[in-house]
Amino acid sequence: MAETAVAEDQFSALAEKLSTFSKAVTTKVPIAQTPKQLVWTLNKAKLYRYIPVLPKAKRHPVPLLMVFALMNRPYVLDLRPGHSFVEFMVSQGYDLYLLDWGSPGPEDKNLKFDDYTLEYMPRAIRKMKAIAEVEEFSMLGWCIGAILTTVYAALRADDGLRNLILLTAPLDFSNKEGITFSKWVDERYFDVDKVLAAMGNMPGEMIDYGARALKPVDNYVLNYLKLWDNLKNPQVVAAWKAMNTWVTDNVPLAGGAFRQLVVDLYRNDRLMRGEWIIRGERVDLSRIRANLLTVIAAEDHITPPCQSEKILSKVSSKDKELFHIAGGHIGIMAGSAAHKITWPHIERWLGPRSK
Amino acid sequence: MADKHAANGQEFDPMAAYREMRDTYMDAWAKTMAEAVKTEVYAKATGTMLDTYLSASSPFREIMEKTMLQTLQQLSMPSRADFISLAERLANVEMKLDDMDAKLDQIEKSVAKRPSAARRRKPAPAAAKEPEGAS
Repeated sequence: MAETAVAEDQFSALAEKLSTFSKAVTTKVPIAQTPKQLVWTLNKAKLYRYIPVLPKAKRHPVPLLMVFALMNRPYVLDLRPGHSFVEFMVSQGYDLYLLDWGSPGPEDKNLKFDDYTLEYMPRAIRKMKAIAEVEEFSMLGWCIGAILTTVYAALRADDGLRNLILLTAPLDFSNKEGITFSKWVDERYFDVDKVLAAMGNMPGEMIDYGARALKPVDNYVLNYLKLWDNLKNPQVVAAWKAMNTWVTDNVPLAGGAFRQLVVDLYRNDRLMRGEWIIRGERVDLSRIRANLLTVIAAEDHITPPCQSEKILSKVSSKDKELFHIAGGHIGIMAGSAAHKITWPHIERWLGPRSK
Repeated sequence: MADKHAANGQEFDPMAAYREMRDTYMDAWAKTMAEAVKTEVYAKATGTMLDTYLSASSPFREIMEKTMLQTLQQLSMPSRADFISLAERLANVEMKLDDMDAKLDQIEKSVAKRPSAARRRKPAPAAAKEPEGAS
């Protein structure tokens, strides 16, 4: 009898654990909850202004525009209350704006970096400057967003950009051995035109597969084991659910931009070599004069550190800093240690430069 | 109850040894796979798989597209291409509106900078104030 009771207990505990696990894996949690206001739209792009929590006299006069990657949702910057970069920066008195690229449809398959940097960004920035009533601003670009902000900073060097923050920026594609994506999209194995002819835009699921396949066991097995082992810890479960909600919310990448990413950058390293032509203009990195902070994640397997280091020697900025942090591509900004290391460092760097 | 606790007072976990073994194995597997995907062989294999899929699915896709287009035409319904064209035109209209918004902002700015406008914006003289006690 006693053995039966023990077995029943075990089965009941297992059933409960499975139920919690299944709920955690399948339910979406509310994220991006910091109050914001939509101030500008163009096609799928939206510009949001976060509602300030400090009076104007206590705020930094120079606004900060955040530009995230084209193929992920930007709300990883505002994941959940208490664990949000956005919430942190707003509480520190920044006039904060977010450029959300939205999800491109079939009609956007020809959009290129040219359109994003010379049509969308200048318009969004003009609107931000008009609302903030300023001429100068700061920009933070993360991942592909860092490519966009860098190109913009080089092509529109006189547009009032005072501070540029680049997070895990894939800018240098010269180290073919160190960048796994470079091998995968090598022209011997990957026919980019055939893919785009069939699909128009690069589907979000394929991009997600590419990112996960870099560390297949970690992403497809260990990630779930970690949750299973910590089901009794509500903090770990809450963090896991929020991150899973973001990770599984994929956005396609416009075909034109994807082609440029593969051909111009991964295959030919045109940006760092000073050969990238955007709408007839050569992207000359030496034209960048804004104060520059480059943040590198030491264990980044998506953008290895070798991709973000050389930019410092290419720009003309007098005030520039390279900051290495232990962590991964997303973890440095949305992981459990982000609020202790990355966010305060960015704030300490940006604060005195936003007066 | 006593046999559930180890000497240090921690609850005895019969699965701990299994978990440790599992983690060691998983770590080794993870490292091996992470190295494997960096090889040329992996790049070639995934490239070939994708290419085969695209080649094999292409005739079916074309048939589907043709059939769908013909069906929509017969039903006098707009096709995917029609919607795409419309969406592109809408985006162009939005850009024109944004250009107009920028020009309006400029005009507002230059008007605000004029001295006469600045004078007009000054508060009204005391005479214009509502007399005290007026209901």
